[in-house]
Amino acid sequence: MSASVLSADLRVRRGGFELAAKFELPMSGITAVFGPSGAGKSMLLSAIAGLAKLEQGRVAIGDEVLEDVAGKVRVPPSRRGVGVVFQDARLFPHLSVRGNLEYAAKRAPEPRGGIEEIAATFDLADKLDRPVHNLSGGEKARVALARAMLSRSRLLLLDEPFASLDGARRRAYLKLIMDVSAQSALPMIVVTHQIEDAAELADRVLAVREGQLVASGDAEAVMESAALRGLLDARDVGARLPAGMLSAAAQGAKGVWVRADNVLLASEEPRGLSARNVWPGEVSAMETEADGSILVTLRLGQGYILSRITRAAADELRLGVGGRAWAVVKAHAI
Amino acid sequence: MPMLTAGEIQILATSLSVALWAIVCSLPLAIAVAYALSRPRLPGKSVLDALSHMPLVLPPVLVGYLLLLAFGVRGPVGGFLDRVLHIRLVFTPAGAAVATAVMCFPLMVRAIRLSFEAMDWRLFEAAAVLRASAWDRFVSLALPMAGPGVLAGAVTAFAAALGEFGAVITFASNVEGKTQTLPLAIYSALQVPGGEERALRLAAMSIALAVIGLAAGEFLQRWARRRAEG
Repeated sequence: MSASVLSADLRVRRGGFELAAKFELPMSGITAVFGPSGAGKSMLLSAIAGLAKLEQGRVAIGDEVLEDVAGKVRVPPSRRGVGVVFQDARLFPHLSVRGNLEYAAKRAPEPRGGIEEIAATFDLADKLDRPVHNLSGGEKARVALARAMLSRSRLLLLDEPFASLDGARRRAYLKLIMDVSAQSALPMIVVTHQIEDAAELADRVLAVREGQLVASGDAEAVMESAALRGLLDARDVGARLPAGMLSAAAQGAKGVWVRADNVLLASEEPRGLSARNVWPGEVSAMETEADGSILVTLRLGQGYILSRITRAAADELRLGVGGRAWAVVKAHAI
Repeated sequence: MPMLTAGEIQILATSLSVALWAIVCSLPLAIAVAYALSRPRLPGKSVLDALSHMPLVLPPVLVGYLLLLAFGVRGPVGGFLDRVLHIRLVFTPAGAAVATAVMCFPLMVRAIRLSFEAMDWRLFEAAAVLRASAWDRFVSLALPMAGPGVLAGAVTAFAAALGEFGAVITFASNVEGKTQTLPLAIYSALQVPGGEERALRLAAMSIALAVIGLAAGEFLQRWARRRAEG
């Protein structure tokens, strides 16, 4: 299929900041754009949507060129068929919830409509006739996503969808995004600076730092890479486990990020523990960090896990590369 | 105050109709210019900005004279209108409306531009990615959101239009029953001995109209602000 790949080789500049990236993404599943704040992640979305003009390069979906600086092609955002859910929702203040949804539905290609259905799925049915300014943060996020869905784009970009949500509301919205992705076959690109979002949502990851793409590919491979490790704060260092391994993983999540700080090690099989997630493994690496603590890599039957322990603890457990150990993770730490 | 005389009613009618035509006919252009000026990246923005402010800084008599040069029967535009369309603006109510429109244009553009500038431009990006074209965004977002502000600007400009003098008298002259608006009638009354009473009555009418116009403008402005704040 010709329309099945998003290919980009682009350079964008805004103010003194420049972003350069070259990648190809299959038009399916969820891709996370991960990196620290100010890395240029949102700018990448703007470039794909056509909201930021390319300085140089090309963006295409299959053979359809959306923008090509050398070829003087620039399809305006309104004709790209690329939807965006902005971080700040950007609902139209002069319209009700229904008005906002109709705005999208009226301009969508056939078959249009489906407002009632989507309102029911998104738990908005009783809010359709409310003005948008007195919705909660979670409701605004859902209206923004519903509006983007009704536009029937071929690709949906989400900019920091969880920025204003926490705890249970973040969980619920995450699940909604994954359900929508699974049911609609609408490819999504999600920008996030939270590694756990990327671990839970993504099939693929683009890792960005200071305007450069530092890694891209399948989530599993990128999240193991040294390039990605380099983007993390010390406290975020950890490993992605397949969702099936953890009892506490969110429903539908593709993986779970387990921080090294939340993993205990035992030299013998632990008994009488309240923790449900206990796995045996083999120590495959021990790195001494700048502050003297030790980052232990434990190969599990499936994947691997990282644990950060003190030098004293490592000595006491007599841990060494090639040795056996058990990893213990408290479900609430995830 | 005794009831208005037939002559005064005539003057009032001329004033209101000249001001109304002036505002109604120039409103679309004022909206277009205000919208263009409110766009952050518009080529030639400073030139357009300066041009639209010219009537504010030029002497009104000069504006009237320039209109005479352009729209007079021997002028480039006026000649064409006269020969081809058989329309004469000089010394007619239509001419008075044209002169009034030109003079009030900067005021109207300023007021309307403020309400366009108060809009959140990021909403236009949101509309663009929902497949709304530039024209669609103007009609479906800019106009409804700025609507009350536009109306307030028009009403304020209307109140100001009632007071236009220099450009009108120069371009359209002071013809009783045709182009004699309130300020022109006050001026005429002051030229004749014993005309003070007449002038005072007209002045009272003028003040009453101005107060009503300003109050209406202010009311609409507040309504617009309340709406914008949600």
